[in-house]
Amino acid sequence: MSPGNGPLLDFGVAAGLSGEQMVLSVRGTVDSHTAPELGAFFDSAIASGHRTVILDMTDLGSIDAAGLAVIASAASRLIGVGGGITVRSPWTTFARILDVTWLAGGLRLGLPRPGLEHLGPEQVTPRSTASARLRPAGLVHGLRRVGAVPADNDVVDGALRLVVALARVTVGGADGVSVSLRRHGQLSTVAASDRIILEMDADQYATGEGPCVDASVEGRWFHAESLDKEDRWPAFTPRARRLGINAILSSPLLAQLQPVGALNIYSRTTSAFAAKDQELAAVFAEEASAILTDAGVGVSDDQLAARLQHSLLARETIAVAQGVVMERERVDQHGAYTILRKASQASDQPLLERAQDVVASTRHPAPRLPPAA
Amino acid sequence: MAEPQIRVLDKARLDVGLTHGELWLRYFELGGMSPTLEVEAILAGALLPSDHDHNVLAHALNERYVELGGNHPVAYHDDSPPTQPVGGSGTGRAP
Repeated sequence: MSPGNGPLLDFGVAAGLSGEQMVLSVRGTVDSHTAPELGAFFDSAIASGHRTVILDMTDLGSIDAAGLAVIASAASRLIGVGGGITVRSPWTTFARILDVTWLAGGLRLGLPRPGLEHLGPEQVTPRSTASARLRPAGLVHGLRRVGAVPADNDVVDGALRLVVALARVTVGGADGVSVSLRRHGQLSTVAASDRIILEMDADQYATGEGPCVDASVEGRWFHAESLDKEDRWPAFTPRARRLGINAILSSPLLAQLQPVGALNIYSRTTSAFAAKDQELAAVFAEEASAILTDAGVGVSDDQLAARLQHSLLARETIAVAQGVVMERERVDQHGAYTILRKASQASDQPLLERAQDVVASTRHPAPRLPPAA
Repeated sequence: MAEPQIRVLDKARLDVGLTHGELWLRYFELGGMSPTLEVEAILAGALLPSDHDHNVLAHALNERYVELGGNHPVAYHDDSPPTQPVGGSGTGRAP
């Protein structure tokens, strides 16, 4: 994967201090040849007693699985001593990928998953609730991200392919995994573990029914424990059984709290997904949802334009109110802002409404003019 | 130093369920001037905010708390007098 579009740089790591925190700045390509050198820097930082390391990836050229593994391993050790890694990267999805990589590594090592509770199938799970209940805080807490540049489709698809690959090897009973995403009003598969799974998804889009379609539209879980006994999708189910599939678990993917797709896990075995596998599916769906939310998926141009227009109007109103208060109270700009903010705080009235009131208070009644002769 | 601020702002953000982007937009609407990268750096603890930036972020979070039926749990950085006279005397009128 290649997050940066900048000039190709030779690999190198520079270590420095920011306050008391160790900063490792990485440039160039991190691959199986260069990853051990980065690992040695982490070893040295940890050996010198640093608990938090800032990893500056601004000049990163590209990174492969070996590089991700070294960072995930260091994060694991730092979290173990109560610290973590702060990732500084202009590429937001990069930190998400680290989260997912570390998550899968932790699962393979059988690390405890604090805060992880059973989430039964078919439950309605608003994202905030699912996030609070399922995000394994102790697992990924140490990886904090600093990023701002929205990812393009290629980057998002690459990250989702990683989620699919990791879910395939860590969720028990999974014979195939895919991610469906609605783009330009149509569902399509952006990542799939193999061709049969691609066909399975395509059958659902073609018939307009199936757990994947329902999860994508309704934003909740659909679990077909045994297709033998399934009657919710009469057109799709026989096709799935012909391809040898007997159980399906579709978890909704939400971006900006709206359903935009589904993480689909297929099995040849009836009742393949135990409670812990359903929990894992929820965790991977959460990670994929976070990637999509960061990338701005699900927000139409019209919605974005309306929101920006509202934001600019709000700023302008507050700025005008600041000017009024500056003139009335003979204070500077920050002083005026503080007065407005305190008034808002004291009355529980939003700052914008307070500012609107101040602006409105400057309107005088129309002057009385002498009657025309 | 920076650690309590990280805990206060980013913990509050998680508490009220705002993404970095959503919080930045609210901060921007309230007159915040720093770009997204800088605000994310503040939340991540890699950058110390100015008092004004801290207060605008705190107010954005507190307004979200009020929307959710809460109070103003995030503290501001202005225990000092809020206004600085620039000459003349104030009118004493409420804003």
